Amino acid sequence: MTPEEIKAAIQASATINLEVYYYWATAIMVLIHAGFLMYEMGASRVKHTLASGTKNILAFAFMIPTFFMFGWWIYLAMTAGFIPNFEAGAGGVPWSDAMGPNLKDNASGVFVAAFTLFACTTASILSGAVIERIRMMAFIILAVLLGSVVWVLSASWGWHYDGWMTKSLGYHDFGASGVVHMISGFFALGVLINLGPRVGKFNSDGSANIIKGHSLPMTATGLMLIVVGFFGFLGACVIFPGTAVSFHETMWTNIYGQPTTLSAIAFNTLMAVAGGIIGCYVMTRDPFWMMSGALCGVISAAAGLDLWYPGTAFVIAFIGGLIGPLAAKFIEKRGIDDAVGAVAVHGMCGVWGLLAVGIFMGGYPAVSETIPGITFYGQFVGMLVMAALGFIPGFMVSFVMKKLGILRASNAVQEAGMDVEIVGDAYPEQMITNTPKTKG
Amino acid sequence: MINSSPITTWEGAGAIFTFAGGGAALWFWIMAVLLIVPLAVAFKAEKNAENEHD
Repeated sequence: MTPEEIKAAIQASATINLEVYYYWATAIMVLIHAGFLMYEMGASRVKHTLASGTKNILAFAFMIPTFFMFGWWIYLAMTAGFIPNFEAGAGGVPWSDAMGPNLKDNASGVFVAAFTLFACTTASILSGAVIERIRMMAFIILAVLLGSVVWVLSASWGWHYDGWMTKSLGYHDFGASGVVHMISGFFALGVLINLGPRVGKFNSDGSANIIKGHSLPMTATGLMLIVVGFFGFLGACVIFPGTAVSFHETMWTNIYGQPTTLSAIAFNTLMAVAGGIIGCYVMTRDPFWMMSGALCGVISAAAGLDLWYPGTAFVIAFIGGLIGPLAAKFIEKRGIDDAVGAVAVHGMCGVWGLLAVGIFMGGYPAVSETIPGITFYGQFVGMLVMAALGFIPGFMVSFVMKKLGILRASNAVQEAGMDVEIVGDAYPEQMITNTPKTKG
Repeated sequence: MINSSPITTWEGAGAIFTFAGGGAALWFWIMAVLLIVPLAVAFKAEKNAENEHD
């Protein structure tokens, strides 16, 4: 073989490996959705269980075609802001050669698949916050807006080597603390303000009642599944080396082209899960919050997951585990009913994740001298952009829906249970027992 | 704000984690201390439960 033939064979092998890598990372990411499904059904009362599950399943199903229709195009075309670059977006137009089986393109399909699953994650984050009272049609529209438009715009700005936030701020958000979690958390906050609380959540004096879900074991197991899925999610945040679409011949890179390793992600993901769980245990000793704490930890450390010292990742995640339940209480005291703590876990821990990078990661250079390195200023401005980009569309569109009377189920339907709109029963027999606890 | 980068360029970089140039041990010890806290919390909660139920 000539040297050119050897090089071509090596690159062909790398291209196939890239395809295999993202294909299976996507499959693992589906576990996030399976986890959210269990999480939200378990967090619902029995009479709302199937409606919560159906809503979640439909979010998944709607994300896939809508991301294909316009999500990928937005990611490729909107890097400069709100003005599209049609040339850059050409490969994302749904009827382009790249957007279907193509023997000369092994990358587009698996990249679109991975991004579609990121989109599904954003929709699931919203889904949990609004259980037991949002109308199905309104939810689907909001989920599509979040998953196939809003978060993609944020990714195009701050999770793309050519995005304006990357180039002008040196914004660093390796594992999407901002572009997925903050965006979704603040979008959910905007929706929750207009949606209002579940019937019976708040008393006339403004104090809150605890509304317990029907299956904490299902919820906790679902959260553990989400943690498993996060290994796929975070693994898909690195760029495979040695192909025509790679940044580097021999090294993994992050989405900004900075070199990294899967070992870095393994070290810090595990530390973040542990730190978040322990932080929440210290704060609450509540299994629901401990497993939510795993998410708090991962989300808090995600932005710098490629660069943290593992001990630092643990501490950042531990603090995230304290922030989650504290933020949830703060939000509840403001009269906002976030059924699963999505705003606190994803929104507020996302804020912490971005700022922690700004506070502790000064001095890291970008790959190009024309792009600024990591600074607190860049992370702080990036955080404000993410908060506004998430909150404003969520609030505005849900406000219009509220005025049209299509956002919230009637109190009568809520009291009967949202499952009256669903075919089937969550449980075929009455399985709830009321055995009083006995004192030992 | 805190300059924790051990590198100024990606060319030829090795250990790139925060504080690799110095200070990582401090975070190790903070982590170690934080692992003691939940033990104390668990001990206190168990003690309270025992007192309430005995």
